[in-house]
Amino acid sequence: MNSSCATGETSNAQPNPWVPQTARIREITPEVDNVATYHLTLVDPAAANAYHFQPGQFNMLYVPGAGESAISMSGDPDSPETLAHTIRLAGNVTKSISEMKVGDTLGLRGPFGTSWPLEACKGRDVILVAGGIGLPPLRPLIYRLLAERQQYGRLHLLYGARSPDMRLYTAERSLWSERGLELKETVDRSNPGWLGNVGVVPLLLERLESFEPKQTTMMICGPELMMRFTARTAMQRGMTAEQIWVSTERNMQCAVGLCGHCQLGPEFICKDGPIFRYDQISPYFKVEGL
Amino acid sequence: MDVQQIQQILMKLRFTSGLSDEDQRNLARISHAQNFPKGATVFTVGSDHKDIYVIRSGRVEICMSIPARGCLPVLTLEAGDLVGWSSILKQGEMTATVIAVEDTQTIAIDAANLSELCEQDHDIGYQIMRRVATALSQRLVASRLQVLDMFGDVNSNNSQIGASE
Amino acid sequence: MSEGLQAANAPPCFLSKEQFAKLFKVLRALEYDVIGPTIDQEAIVYDRISSIDDLPRGWTDIQEPGKYRLEKRNDDALFGYVVGPHSWKQNLFPPVTTLSVADRTDEGWQFSEPEQDAPKFAFLGVRACELAALKIQDRVFLEGPYIDPQYQGRRNQALVIAVNCTQAASTCFCTSMKTGPRCKAGYDLALTELPEGFVVEVVTPQGEAVINALETQIATEENQNQAEAARQQAVDQITRTMDTTDIRDLLMSNLEHPQWDDVAERCLSCTNCTMVCPTCFCSSVEEVSDLTGDHVERERQWDSCFNVDFSYMNGGLVRNSIRNRYRQWMTHKLATWIDQFGTSGCVGCGRCITWCPVGIDLTQEVAAIREKQT
Repeated sequence: MNSSCATGETSNAQPNPWVPQTARIREITPEVDNVATYHLTLVDPAAANAYHFQPGQFNMLYVPGAGESAISMSGDPDSPETLAHTIRLAGNVTKSISEMKVGDTLGLRGPFGTSWPLEACKGRDVILVAGGIGLPPLRPLIYRLLAERQQYGRLHLLYGARSPDMRLYTAERSLWSERGLELKETVDRSNPGWLGNVGVVPLLLERLESFEPKQTTMMICGPELMMRFTARTAMQRGMTAEQIWVSTERNMQCAVGLCGHCQLGPEFICKDGPIFRYDQISPYFKVEGL
Repeated sequence: MDVQQIQQILMKLRFTSGLSDEDQRNLARISHAQNFPKGATVFTVGSDHKDIYVIRSGRVEICMSIPARGCLPVLTLEAGDLVGWSSILKQGEMTATVIAVEDTQTIAIDAANLSELCEQDHDIGYQIMRRVATALSQRLVASRLQVLDMFGDVNSNNSQIGASE
Repeated sequence: MSEGLQAANAPPCFLSKEQFAKLFKVLRALEYDVIGPTIDQEAIVYDRISSIDDLPRGWTDIQEPGKYRLEKRNDDALFGYVVGPHSWKQNLFPPVTTLSVADRTDEGWQFSEPEQDAPKFAFLGVRACELAALKIQDRVFLEGPYIDPQYQGRRNQALVIAVNCTQAASTCFCTSMKTGPRCKAGYDLALTELPEGFVVEVVTPQGEAVINALETQIATEENQNQAEAARQQAVDQITRTMDTTDIRDLLMSNLEHPQWDDVAERCLSCTNCTMVCPTCFCSSVEEVSDLTGDHVERERQWDSCFNVDFSYMNGGLVRNSIRNRYRQWMTHKLATWIDQFGTSGCVGCGRCITWCPVGIDLTQEVAAIREKQT
């Protein structure tokens, strides 16, 4: 990672994108069933200092022997200490991570990918729509929006989860409300005692009152189908595809656009995405098996 | 609450907003305000029910009973939503039980009178049926998404960029 | 090869076959590892060669969709063939390579670059379509936001000795892709073979260093006319064409064309086309661990969009049918590559046609889509 020119290898000054940094687990916060937030620290102080990310970007987390997995950052982009990843146990790599404890190390490459268009939101109303584990990639954005609260109009978070007990960041969500993020929640499947909304998340948008489509920027993160139908509802209510941004997922392996796995139409999701303006990516959502 | 007050309310509710003054007045004439305290049953599955409702505030849940599992909420409805479409479509007995989960204010519209109004004046009939169809199509799409259990468990070896589940 | 100084004014020279034989020694003296054409398993492949005797002297290749045969020529031409199953990509972007190394220490995992010296290759016998392919892979591996260090190390040191085609196979369509058959740029030296020797164009200092170590004459006008005639022969032999007019939009607006189902009936999803393609760059990474699990290497291997699990995501396959996989390959190669890299991914070398076991010809598939646009 030496960027000195003195070596005479100026053409090779760019760090090798394939080699991970060592990251140590500083803290593990259990969230809900099979989901926990891992707070990491880069072991090399220079690397830790140099590390900055924008909301919406991701890292490749690497467990030697198990492999790599692309995980969005879920921490505060303005708190350099917080390299947080909220991870759901869903496969080989995440299973290996779930078996780790504080003090253990793993590899990290990143940050990679595009970020949420914060600048474009200044002075506008913002609606964030999260589905399931789609909330963590929006959390860095929420931190940033709330840190600069006065620069934005109305802020909404519409959050859909599978069931009440699968809702993430429960304590934090009420803090967000207090700081000016209007929160509406719904679940697909009710539990006994649940008095909140039941139904999929586009319905929350359907019902949103005092909504000014022209004044609003929307950012959606969740399963592709949920994003499509949320965007559809937004457009029925008068928004345009150019006002909507989504976080897209494919099989990301190299994260640098060199392995070919994550292509969707002309896009490499890892480097051209994962955040896309909806009009740019939606034509390809609609072609089955693309 | 008089006809004019009800009309004022209907103007603002999503289901009825945008109808002409006259249509709203005609609707108001066959409507009345009805409140359901938290926990009250709006109607039960299998009953014949004479009113349909447009919610003003609060929240109701639509439940379907499964033996040994009780009455499971499948959808909640809020301000602006239509409740009780079976009555207006004359589809016979109610398909679900509806319970107020919060103190809920509604405008109740007499279904038989509404049907008659629609029959007599196909212009308003078209407007009403279009709105019923829109509400039901949204609920149909929502139900489809719910059936797919998008947030359910799958095995993933790969990324979690949020879209992933 | 360096793009550097075009010795544009240097007149072509003539290199006799006797002198050409000494080229190998010159290249070795300059510490090049010479890779060139040679016969192996009844095909002309690119491999390490050490003398003129390793070249496929007097052999040619007969190619048709799904067919490749070597045949004896009635002369002693050294480069009297077209292209075989190999391409130079296997040297610059090796089929298997180590990307990173992890070692477990008391301080936890430590990660490092694999220790490997970039070999200094001299590529002998690079065709015009292959020069275009090198340029395309440069675009992918060197000119995007991320650079592949291994490709870069190998590419920067490589000497490119091009050889102009003097004949074409039935599968060639470089004229449609505007990549050949004449070598125009991207080489250090370009040769045109004549019965007695070669007309040599020298464009870089690296090429000059090589040619200066050999005895050459200034090419006579007759030499040059002969060379031109030989090169024209290749142009004249090309019969296959692909209409590339608006091909990006043509394919992207016909993603549900019935032709995809038609080709899926024939395609075996065997990956041959992607393996022989000189520009295909998809890869996968595997964990290779020692027995203790304390030393783990990440090993990159060529992969293919035709492999079933290539599009695996969240427990399922995105491209779950041959139709979808063929469509991905062809639309990527001919259409979305243009969005991504500003150039087609196809150079018209015809390898995918020759090496397809069922003889699928992408030029015909494109024509079928063009004929009946949806």
